[in-house]
Amino acid sequence: MKKIDVQNQPVLSPGRIIQIAVTGVKYRLFRAVVTVAVIIVAMAFLMNILTESLIKRAIADSVREQIEDLHRVDRWIARLTMPQSGEELLFVLAEEEAPSPVLGEISTMSGLSIDALQALRPKAQEAVRYLNFFNEIDFGRRRVLVGPVQGVATFDRLSADPAWHQFTSNLADMRVLRFPEELSDFQDFLAEWSELQAKLETIREGQQRSIEQVRNAIGDRSLMSALSDADGDFGDIIRQAGFSLPDETAALLVRDVRRVKNTQLIESTINIAEVRQAVAAERDVLPGDVTMRMIWRLLRNQDRAEWFLGVMRDAELETGDLTAERLEAIANQRAYARLLTIAEQQTMEAQGGLMGIGMRMTWLAFVSMLVCAVGIANAMLMSVTERFREIATLKCLGALDAFIMSIFLIEAGLLGFVGGLGGAIAGLLLAGLRMAVIFQSLLWTAFPWQDILVAGLISIGIGVLLAAISAVYPSFRAARLAPMEAMRIE
Amino acid sequence: MSTATEHKVEDIASATGGKRVIIRSLGMKKIYRRGEEITHALRGVDVEIYTGEFIVVMGPSGSGKSTFFNMIGALDSPSEGRVFIDEVDVAQLTAEELAFLRCRKIGYIFQSYNLIQYMTALENVTTPMAFGGVTPDEARRRGMDLLELVGLKDRWFHRPIEMSGGQQQRVAIARALANEPSILLCDEPTANLDHRTGDEILEILQKLNKERGVTIICATHDHRMMNICDRLMWIRDGGIERIAQRDEVEVELGSIE
Ligand SMILES: Nc1ncnc2c1ncn2[C@@H]1O[C@H](COP(=O)(O)OP(=O)(O)OP(=O)(O)O)[C@@H](O)[C@H]1O
Ligand SMILES: [Mg+2]
Repeated sequence: MKKIDVQNQPVLSPGRIIQIAVTGVKYRLFRAVVTVAVIIVAMAFLMNILTESLIKRAIADSVREQIEDLHRVDRWIARLTMPQSGEELLFVLAEEEAPSPVLGEISTMSGLSIDALQALRPKAQEAVRYLNFFNEIDFGRRRVLVGPVQGVATFDRLSADPAWHQFTSNLADMRVLRFPEELSDFQDFLAEWSELQAKLETIREGQQRSIEQVRNAIGDRSLMSALSDADGDFGDIIRQAGFSLPDETAALLVRDVRRVKNTQLIESTINIAEVRQAVAAERDVLPGDVTMRMIWRLLRNQDRAEWFLGVMRDAELETGDLTAERLEAIANQRAYARLLTIAEQQTMEAQGGLMGIGMRMTWLAFVSMLVCAVGIANAMLMSVTERFREIATLKCLGALDAFIMSIFLIEAGLLGFVGGLGGAIAGLLLAGLRMAVIFQSLLWTAFPWQDILVAGLISIGIGVLLAAISAVYPSFRAARLAPMEAMRIE
Repeated sequence: MSTATEHKVEDIASATGGKRVIIRSLGMKKIYRRGEEITHALRGVDVEIYTGEFIVVMGPSGSGKSTFFNMIGALDSPSEGRVFIDEVDVAQLTAEELAFLRCRKIGYIFQSYNLIQYMTALENVTTPMAFGGVTPDEARRRGMDLLELVGLKDRWFHRPIEMSGGQQQRVAIARALANEPSILLCDEPTANLDHRTGDEILEILQKLNKERGVTIICATHDHRMMNICDRLMWIRDGGIERIAQRDEVEVELGSIE
């Protein structure tokens, strides 16, 4: 029986295949444009989410310290007023590793040795894990499990037998909830809890003693005005009481306190009739419509600041060493601090998840990917199915299945690439614009170019991949059929 | 293949006066299903077509001519029965072998042309050559020759939508000849052509048949075909109504006239 000799049936060169594919795309330009548009929209959505999240994360990283600085005065006032809570102390003990100024300070105040504090670390870390569990579950569940208590009081409560019983049996009923550690470990921990708690109490008492000492030294001055002398006598008092206050921190504190006082002074001017009237005349509004915002805006210009200083003096306000430059600087700082506050709010959840963009954003990106996949698959499916006749004809002329598949793969890849690129650019622009409006000057200090480049490549890659995958299946199906069967599918 | 079948093949060969069979169908049936509706397009066709033969297939519209073509051209698989091309059972061929067969052995002229819409006339003609491994330059030269043959040399750059039905049909004819096939399947090749162009095409077909020994199977309503063919075959309702040598038919026609 004579067999057909297929040895010299060649495979077309890649160049020729690409050429045929591109001719096809050019001919169906409108359809191609529609498909590309679908991919652009889908990828722009993904890129937008990625870019915004990456920018937020980068800004969160870069402003974290500045935000800490922003609260320096508040933090010191709190430290000098109240001992830390048991929960706060546990976090500190779990975190800090000797040698550390924080541990040193606790040691001095409480009389416990550094080694003793270090020895508490594993227990504190364990406690933190339990606390995190209770902090993360929702209010209703927590209430069922441990009643109305919070923080370290949870441990106090669970140390008692009936509460422990209630906790374990209710936990067993909540099937979706999983306790992250062994329950027996937790029970052991609770058994030794009173010991740890006694240590915490010792520390708190030490802190309380130091606070009393500082308070007695202040006399009837306010804490705030005392702090304006943090680089002088008052600083020494604080240090003597056991607080660790490096010189740089003291200097910064003095500067911050001065700024806070100045700010308070400026904000008090709005209640003074003369100032209100002057500003109203300057801004051409009614005195009743003058807002603090308006005044701050004025101060950001040095000439106006000069003028405002005059107004303050005329109103016989205690301007002290205030100058126009200082007023302007304070106004600018305040504007920047406001930006930082916005950044703090906006970037609250920017951690964990894909590329560190946060769990919620990762989930959103994932869902958007699903939507993209469906959209792109639909577009590609349409553009392949309307060409079954062409596929059939090519097969009649002796095309190999692989050739037909490659034509469609190349086309899909091309459309996916163009769409992915367009989408990445569109998404980047949109996200950049929105972020620029929110973060203003902060944006450029922390623009995550590299991460965004990676996100762009990911978007393009996903575009190509999704388009290719959704073209493979229908073209594979059509290519495998007998030509006339393929021709009959409409 | 068993020796029994080979014996049978030889029997047939001797019975037909030593002519070699190039296409053979055995109990070929085709059933189209569209939901509940079932169409018996072919109801068991047994036919032998010999190498170098020019056979004309006639039959009313819907009788199954195109379906018959697709089956013997290895473009579709019969619901039942078998098709042999060059004594090879088509059902046993691999995808590559089928591609080779369609590319080099058989030229198809489809009733609805089936040109690739985004390719120019020349590209349409040279595509099968590319699949057959002809170099682009050579393909271009041969493609232009073929277009000249069908009288479309100066329209090589036109796309199908820019051409009349007859012109498209001629491109389809040129494409069918691209790889110098040894079998030519034509589904109404002159249907859309005027008398003169039709004559030219008939001349080309006749020349191919006589000079190069190409086997031509041609469905048509064109009575001029009867003058150049060797045999005639009538199909009705998916079955062969009659097969006859041309001389027999001419005698009949003569007697009728
Ligand atoms: N894809 C299909 N699905 C269902 N029925 C079909 C299909 N293709 C053809 N048929 C039916 O099969 C029968 C034969 O069709 P075929 O196309 O072979 O006829 P034909 O002889 O070529 O007709 P014409 O001279 O009009 O071209 C017809 O009754 C037709 O309706
Ligand atoms: Mg037909």
